Amino acid sequence: MTQILISQIILSIVLACIFLIRPSVTKTVGWKILAFIGLCVLPALCIVGGMNIHMQRSEQTKFCISCHAMAPYARSLYVDDPGYIPAQHFQNHRVPADRACYACHADYSIYGPLKDKMRGLTRIYMQYVSKPPATIQIPGGYDNNQCLHCHAGARDFEGNAIHSAAMDALKSNQMSCISSGCHDTVHNVTALDHVKFWRPGQ
Amino acid sequence: MTFRNLEFKWLLRASSVLIILGLLVEIASLLWFHPLSFVLFAFAGASLIGLGIVVYLASLVFVASSGSENRE
Repeated sequence: MTQILISQIILSIVLACIFLIRPSVTKTVGWKILAFIGLCVLPALCIVGGMNIHMQRSEQTKFCISCHAMAPYARSLYVDDPGYIPAQHFQNHRVPADRACYACHADYSIYGPLKDKMRGLTRIYMQYVSKPPATIQIPGGYDNNQCLHCHAGARDFEGNAIHSAAMDALKSNQMSCISSGCHDTVHNVTALDHVKFWRPGQ
Repeated sequence: MTFRNLEFKWLLRASSVLIILGLLVEIASLLWFHPLSFVLFAFAGASLIGLGIVVYLASLVFVASSGSENRE
């Protein structure tokens, strides 16, 4: 995908160079069409392709944890305790390991609507200009839909009497999956110095 | 060579330069795996390319308007 886009970019650069060096070639109809392709269509496609690749790249776990503030959250994925919800999902491949963050935070910062994208930029500002907060909070709290987009309809989830009794409250976010006392051990980064870690391959 | 023709060539050159710079920035952002590469692409690369496209389209409008003036 990246290689195709880079080939497309190189082609656009070559065409743009022709029109930079000899703009007079656009006198004929054929060159006019080529100029339209080289200076409008192809560059526009390059923007779309670049945005697509950057968005796909930002969904990768290694992208998320490349920010220093995220390092403890990445570490929490290796906690050797099934009570840690993210660790349990990551270690048992209930979410793709290379897209573990995005799988449960698909509405976070740049992945969400415009307001979230703008908030994502403040995260970058905090990382490189100011200072990230000690504890990272999700504005508005964690949305149950991030759990339900996989668990809703699953037999073991729907068959659980507690889940089925509270289903309406869960779907409307009136009851939180993670902060209503049921699955409340999430990343828990402040306790990472006192827990055991799982090492893959052992 | 008329003055308008000369202006059109300069607009085309300006558009080409902006697009080339934007595309080079885009290549750099694609080869650099870093959270800032997205910012580089979105704020520098895409903006330069977008501006280049606008200048090119403006040059087309410029040619079309000068052509219609000549017919009148």
